[in-house]
Amino acid sequence: MIKRIIALLMVMTFAALPVFATGTYDFNSPEFRQSAQQYMCLCGCGQDHLECNMDGCGLNDSFKTEILEKLNDGWTQDEIKDFYVGMYGEVILTAPEKSGFSLTAWITPFAVLGVAGVGVVLLIRKWVNNAQLILEEVTVDSNDDVDETEDEVLRSIIDKERKKYY
Amino acid sequence: MNIIVNLSIYLALILSIYAFVAFVLGIRKQDQRLIDSARGATLSIFILASISTLLLFYLLGTSQFQFQYVYQYTSSDLPLLYKLAAFWAGNAGSLLLWTFFLTMYAVMVAYSRKMRRNPMTPYIVAIMTLNMIFFYLILAFVTKPFILLDGVPVEGRGLNPMLQDPGMILHPVTIYLGYVGLAVPFAFAIASLILKSMDSFWVKMTRRWTILAWLFLTLGNVIGGYWAYTELGWGGYWAWDPVENASFMPWLTVTAYLHSVMIQERKNMLKVWNLSLIILSYALTLFGTFLVRSGVLTSVHAFSESNLGAYFLIFMAFMVIFSMYILMSRYHLLKKDTGQFESFLSKESSFLINNLILLGATFAVFWGTVFPLVSEAVRGTKVTVGIPFFNTVMSPILLALLFLMAVCPLIAWQRSTVKNLRDNFLIPAIISLVVAGLLVVMGVQGAYPIIGWTIVTFMILTHIVEFVRGTAARRKVTKESVPVALYNLMIRGRRRYGGYIVHIGIALMAFGIIGANFDEEKLLTMRVGESMEIGDYTITYEGLAQRSEGVNDIVFANMKIEKNGRNLGYMQPERMFYLNWEEPSTNVAVRSTLSEDLYIVLSAWEQDQRATFKFKVNPLVKWIWIGTWVVTIGAIFAIWNGRYGNIVPRYAGPRRKVY
Repeated sequence: MIKRIIALLMVMTFAALPVFATGTYDFNSPEFRQSAQQYMCLCGCGQDHLECNMDGCGLNDSFKTEILEKLNDGWTQDEIKDFYVGMYGEVILTAPEKSGFSLTAWITPFAVLGVAGVGVVLLIRKWVNNAQLILEEVTVDSNDDVDETEDEVLRSIIDKERKKYY
Repeated sequence: MNIIVNLSIYLALILSIYAFVAFVLGIRKQDQRLIDSARGATLSIFILASISTLLLFYLLGTSQFQFQYVYQYTSSDLPLLYKLAAFWAGNAGSLLLWTFFLTMYAVMVAYSRKMRRNPMTPYIVAIMTLNMIFFYLILAFVTKPFILLDGVPVEGRGLNPMLQDPGMILHPVTIYLGYVGLAVPFAFAIASLILKSMDSFWVKMTRRWTILAWLFLTLGNVIGGYWAYTELGWGGYWAWDPVENASFMPWLTVTAYLHSVMIQERKNMLKVWNLSLIILSYALTLFGTFLVRSGVLTSVHAFSESNLGAYFLIFMAFMVIFSMYILMSRYHLLKKDTGQFESFLSKESSFLINNLILLGATFAVFWGTVFPLVSEAVRGTKVTVGIPFFNTVMSPILLALLFLMAVCPLIAWQRSTVKNLRDNFLIPAIISLVVAGLLVVMGVQGAYPIIGWTIVTFMILTHIVEFVRGTAARRKVTKESVPVALYNLMIRGRRRYGGYIVHIGIALMAFGIIGANFDEEKLLTMRVGESMEIGDYTITYEGLAQRSEGVNDIVFANMKIEKNGRNLGYMQPERMFYLNWEEPSTNVAVRSTLSEDLYIVLSAWEQDQRATFKFKVNPLVKWIWIGTWVVTIGAIFAIWNGRYGNIVPRYAGPRRKVY
């Protein structure tokens, strides 16, 4: 029984070996695309390494080949990322990290929008309250049910008639 | 020739200084003769700017390489159209174009029939001449368009191949028309503040100017996107590049302004806000130019590095401080005569939320654009803020904006009732939810696309409801036939219905933008005769060939295209090699349909004709361009000088002896 289990494990191990030993990813693999998209091409094209199509870019081809080799050597996406960030710094990433000071890049727009949103709501509330104080009591006027579009159409027709005589 | 062209610049500088001084003195002394003289000087500046512009076109068109600018940006083999378009390929030429537009707009205001005998006119034109002084100082001393070389080079250096595209003819011109166009409402706003004319006169007078500037900015951005899509070969149309962001930000703020001024016109509220928005929009046009010309941020659009950006930064700071000072000094007057908000649930409130989101979006774009500088300043580490950041941050903000665009038109002014909401929204909401269900059933994955398309559907339906309601209301009174009622309704409410057409255009663009995210891409090296499949297409590579276009050589691949077994003919992705430029350029082959674009890029090839291609299927991209056409039609419809509602606003501000 033990021999059988060992034999089975050996078969499974050998069966799995080629996956690690030889390339299973190519330039069209989603894993490769996902990885290459994370890195900014520094040739001045303004694109990531997946999309860089700049003629004479001396970086793109070798960078892509290197990513593919690393994937086929069994590196994980995070390991590849750590490797390039270690080599080039955070500037190599197409977007700031979501940690440390770079996190402020992601949070600030929503924080500002949130604070401004609260401000706008408070402002509208103040204005509405002021208007109610001035009007003293707001009653539902029968005019409220008049369709605004109908009202505008009527006004335009009256205006046209008025112009005929003045 | 050299003397004439340089004289046209220096003389215009002197005249613009004279015009400004004469306007200021004329206003102070209330001397009409000085004002008339300054107005005449403005016309002379425009004539001189026209001479400079025409002569630069002439020098470029006739390859006068003794002029540095002609030598730097053209070559004798360049097609005439691109020789002329090289006008705005460099700093000096593009700033001359900017100046020309500025002088043209100034003359249009100075001699406007509607502004005749209006005391505000000298103030407005004086502010515009202040801008002219800045631009002419730059053209005369910093980046001169007419520098004569010591010798006459046999050949020019040629135009960057990426600029040899029809986009080059339209994109910069439209962007500049948009940028310069914003100087007009800005000048009106500041003039009204100086003159203490606190009503909505300046808003009404500049409505067309602002919409036109907005339209040019829209077109400039979209044409730029189309150019990138067909020329750069990366398959996208918007890269959130700092310079793209720089022209997107004023677009957002002007959009906010166009909505919030309606509250000022109706309710006499938000005066300070609207003035701030127009000052901000104007300042952002200068900020954008600072970004392009300074080299502080990496951008594919950057002009050659120069210290020009610093001058723009100084001028922007000066104008902003000047504007804010004027605004603050009139603050007590602006606070008077404000109207009221009667309900949370009203069009007024929805416009305020609209402004909040648009300004939030502007801040998000600004923050992302300058964050590399912030990061470097705070912790000494450079970071890149690219497409993933902007897509993540902007998607929810822009979706919220789309939702508001869907809801806003059907909410009544003053106060909406529950009945009003139920009547207007019930059917569009039900149909939109059915569409959402269908999208899920069809296997569309991801929350954003489903939510996005549902909102787009809702938006289009609510706008259709507006047209239907209006037509029905008109028919009820006039008994006209449906087409006649619709036509009469629209021409009597150009601003409103033009705006709705613009909204529908934006909805169509959003439809395309969301769809384009479902792109499929393959990178393959193929032998001759080999086939590949992408989406429903089968593409067979039949070999490379070569042809000449003038002095340039083009290598192209013949790709046979079949879709679901049906032969669709051939596509030919190209690489163009230039006699006067080291790097070749990419000419993407695009087969565009309403449902998708097939996009092929020839990347490289070997001696044995094995070639590497990038294949993409980009769904619904065509809708972005269709949406732009609809936006253009809507904007033109809104500003068209029709029979109805074409009332010249009455000036009710302080009177002066001079005008």
